[in-house]
Amino acid sequence: MSLQLLFKALLRRKVVTLLLLLQLALTLALLANSLLLASQTRAKLNEPTGLDLPHILQVQLKPTTNDLRAQPLLTDLLERQLAAVRTLTGVKAVAYANQGPILQGGNQGNLFDPNDPDRTNVPAIPAYHVSPDFFAALGLKLLEGQLPQTPVAVDGRVRSPLVLTRSLAEKLFPNRSAVGLMTNHASVAAVVEDFFGHKMATDQWYNRIQVAPLLGVDWGYALLINTDTGATERIRQQLPDVLREVDANIEIFYVRSLQEQHQRLYRDEFGLATLLAILTGLMLLVAMVSSYSNAHFNALQQQQDIGIKRALGASKNLIFIELLCENWLTTALGVLLGLLCAFALNQQLATVISMPPLQLWLPLCTTIVLICCVTLATWYPARIATQVAPATATKTM
Amino acid sequence: MEQFLYYLKVSFTSIKRAPLPYALTILILSLGIGVFFANATLYYQLNSDPLPHKSDKLFFPMTRMMPHQCHDCPPPRILSYVNVQKLSATEIPTAKAAMYSTDGYLRLDSTKAPTPVSVRLTQPDFFRMFDVPMLHGSVWQDAKARQELILAKQMAEKIFGRSNVVGEKVLLDDRYYTVIGVLDDWRMLPRLYDANNHNYVEDTEQVFMPLETGYDYNYLSNTQSHTMDDTDFRQLATQGRTGALHQLQFWVQLDSPQQQQSYRQFMANLVAAEQKAGRHPSMPNNQLIPMRDIIQYFGGGSADIKAFALVTLLFLGVCLLNASHLSLNRYLSNQYEFSLRRALGASRLQLQQQILADVLLMTLCCALCGMGIAWGGIELLNYLWPANRLFGRWDPTLVAALFVLTLSASYLVTLYPSLRASFGGLNQQLKE
Amino acid sequence: MIQLKNLSKIFRTELIETHALRQIDLQVKEGEFVALTGPSGSGKSTLLNVLGTLEQFDDGDYLLDGQSVKGLADSALSKLRNEKIGFIFQGFNLIKDYSLQDNIELPLRYRGLVASERKRRVEQALELVGLAARRDYHPSQLSGGQQQRVAIARAIAGEPRILLADEPTGNLDSLMARQVMELLEQINRQGCTILMVTHDPDQARRASRQVQIVDGQLSDAALYDPLAIKTA
Repeated sequence: MSLQLLFKALLRRKVVTLLLLLQLALTLALLANSLLLASQTRAKLNEPTGLDLPHILQVQLKPTTNDLRAQPLLTDLLERQLAAVRTLTGVKAVAYANQGPILQGGNQGNLFDPNDPDRTNVPAIPAYHVSPDFFAALGLKLLEGQLPQTPVAVDGRVRSPLVLTRSLAEKLFPNRSAVGLMTNHASVAAVVEDFFGHKMATDQWYNRIQVAPLLGVDWGYALLINTDTGATERIRQQLPDVLREVDANIEIFYVRSLQEQHQRLYRDEFGLATLLAILTGLMLLVAMVSSYSNAHFNALQQQQDIGIKRALGASKNLIFIELLCENWLTTALGVLLGLLCAFALNQQLATVISMPPLQLWLPLCTTIVLICCVTLATWYPARIATQVAPATATKTM
Repeated sequence: MEQFLYYLKVSFTSIKRAPLPYALTILILSLGIGVFFANATLYYQLNSDPLPHKSDKLFFPMTRMMPHQCHDCPPPRILSYVNVQKLSATEIPTAKAAMYSTDGYLRLDSTKAPTPVSVRLTQPDFFRMFDVPMLHGSVWQDAKARQELILAKQMAEKIFGRSNVVGEKVLLDDRYYTVIGVLDDWRMLPRLYDANNHNYVEDTEQVFMPLETGYDYNYLSNTQSHTMDDTDFRQLATQGRTGALHQLQFWVQLDSPQQQQSYRQFMANLVAAEQKAGRHPSMPNNQLIPMRDIIQYFGGGSADIKAFALVTLLFLGVCLLNASHLSLNRYLSNQYEFSLRRALGASRLQLQQQILADVLLMTLCCALCGMGIAWGGIELLNYLWPANRLFGRWDPTLVAALFVLTLSASYLVTLYPSLRASFGGLNQQLKE
Repeated sequence: MIQLKNLSKIFRTELIETHALRQIDLQVKEGEFVALTGPSGSGKSTLLNVLGTLEQFDDGDYLLDGQSVKGLADSALSKLRNEKIGFIFQGFNLIKDYSLQDNIELPLRYRGLVASERKRRVEQALELVGLAARRDYHPSQLSGGQQQRVAIARAIAGEPRILLADEPTGNLDSLMARQVMELLEQINRQGCTILMVTHDPDQARRASRQVQIVDGQLSDAALYDPLAIKTA
């Protein structure tokens, strides 16, 4: 097998070869970047959240009448709703909250140590107003201090004490216990394990919680239910009816598990990754069609040459390998060009979306996929070409 | 005409001779065009200008009049009630309207089930600024608090069963209001008057209420609000009107460059005076952004669609290359026939005309297949990105653009192969 | 060297059966220069194709250098063709996009010879046919006679045991034809067995033996004379 002769064969068909090279290069570029985005999305969907996602349900709802949205009827409604949900078998804990976890954004505020406001100010921290069972509902582990047991109004003379997540406590009060220390809002009563709050916050692990009555429910509120394994789906089906039975003047926006909530958070990324994957599949198909057509056409054009080679002693297998090698060479050249294109595309995509840099091993792996596809596509035409009888060579032009 | 029909016949014969390569060319070209067009539709619609004749005359003022110090931050995208009062205290704009949105529950009376509605709380100038068509009745006479609502036509029909409901009473969140106007069919897409937080992809509101009434009844914004001091957001009617509770959007209409310049000057003077009076510590940073640039300013253009647009463009390129390749093979196979025709006296121009007939046939097939694929593509995009579902629609301009794109693509794809086939060396080709 | 025993070849289509070769018995000794003559359509080229293992036969046997080719697999036949047989065609059949060097080298590559050995043999063959100075030329840059000489160089570069030539001078003028025939005679003198199909009686006379084939059957007879048949 002469590399030189193969190159000469490619150079003879410059335009066709160039078209094929460009196609292969772009296909490789897209394939590599698609895989990268898909793996990034998958990583995000599998990231730790500090929560038992499949077994915690969230109901987002809002009273439809004005008086139910105001105190004292609001607190009464919440109490009745919590009591009703607690009666369902399989419910481990239930709580109300002004907002659930794992959101894009929502109710946020800043927090700082009054002794050092400029250095310690942390803006955009999710602020939760919850019932006492909130921590059990989310399955949060207590790390320090004591969890408040009674709701205390956040705007009262005596401020409702704060519960911070570990990372936030560490940020505000590094290298010491935060319990008992004062912040601009209230003193810290306890520290719990981190959980995923808001995607668009200073840090997804920074959360501050106060056991307090809800200030207002103009944006609705959440009920968080921790369920036994196996009971989740049943409870989810029962919840809307149970809640409407307590009081029909509510609008239930949705009942979701936190896992679905998490998936929704990355819906756009998932959508893009899916679209790119489909497009990559189409591109590979198109590349295979091209390779097939190229091999088929070349075999036809080269029939006489193939006949001569067979007459000179080339076996069928040798002709077959020769034809495959021509395609492999084109693919290899396309791959080299494709590596450049892959890095260029990665940089361009990174200017519009969050895209990690491309590591070299990824396009090299996708090269193998490309070669396999191209080989598959050229197999049949190459096989057919070997059927050229040597006697064809003896026929005069 | 007869000659053109002959050329079409020749094309058909050539296709029948080798249908597979032709079918593959059509498939691949349609695939590239269809996929590109599906995303291009979304991209085009999302970036379209709903008010092209006045989007450079409607402006969104923003200033850094807030109680705390901020060195490098841009001015807030939402204003406080006090900010808006001060920015309105001038006759320079042709029209001006403050606004925000909220949620409510609408019904005919307390015996009926409530219908969740989106409500825009605004001032009378809103309707003429954004060319909102009125079907029945009128807008509020002034910007004062009134127990009056304006309904969208679909909402009026839903609640009352008919559209002419001017003078009727309706219950919104346990309070009765009189309907004084009903809007005609109206949809502003993208909804640029509410470009904050990517809200411009949403549909227009169904109920319109006077801004002052909203404040009186403590309606909070359902999109974005920011309290910069200790204002209690539950006391919107009182503290909300005096404190640093930012939830308002404010638009002004400035028709001429002189007006725009005057208003800029007004803003500069106002902010300077306020700072002198000690009402805000930050250095001035005033912005007056025209409507057609608002999305760009907020950096809210959909990144995913842009990324996908880049990729579909590449895909189209790959499909064009591929189709060229297949086309080249096809024409080279037919080279003998072309050469024979030349040997029998056909001129190069006549051969080009023959190829043009081929191109037109290909265009027709590709356009039809491409449209089908594009339609499927839009359905898929709507499924994966439901937030943009209102934008996956075609208008005559887009359909015409599709045909032009297909024609250009088909012509490009056959250009090099056809030139090579009709300009090649005769003798050599015939011998072969 | 070559032994054909009762060999037959039938071409079958949907409608007709053509007996191209009928019970051929032929023996060719090593070093012979045999001319195959006969009228058009008599089966000369078919016989040559069978001898060159370019076509299969239907009946009988063919022994080349003592080995039967009947039932050999494609790879074995290819090897045989590559190592023991050299071809020269009327239409030259050079690969037009390869240089002379590449064309001559082709069968040597299939044999798996190393680059240095291939180079040596190509040089030797080019010297023999007098075209060493044009090794980088392409076939389209040469005259018919020169192209045929290149084809001969390709055929002998592998040092075959037999050389099969199908109307080697059919496309050449008389001067070039004479040059080619001289070359073939030179190769034969060096010990190569040659079988040549020809229409030309003068060329046939230059061979050491003439074999006539008519309607697929052989006769080791006197020189075929078309005029003789007519008057018979």
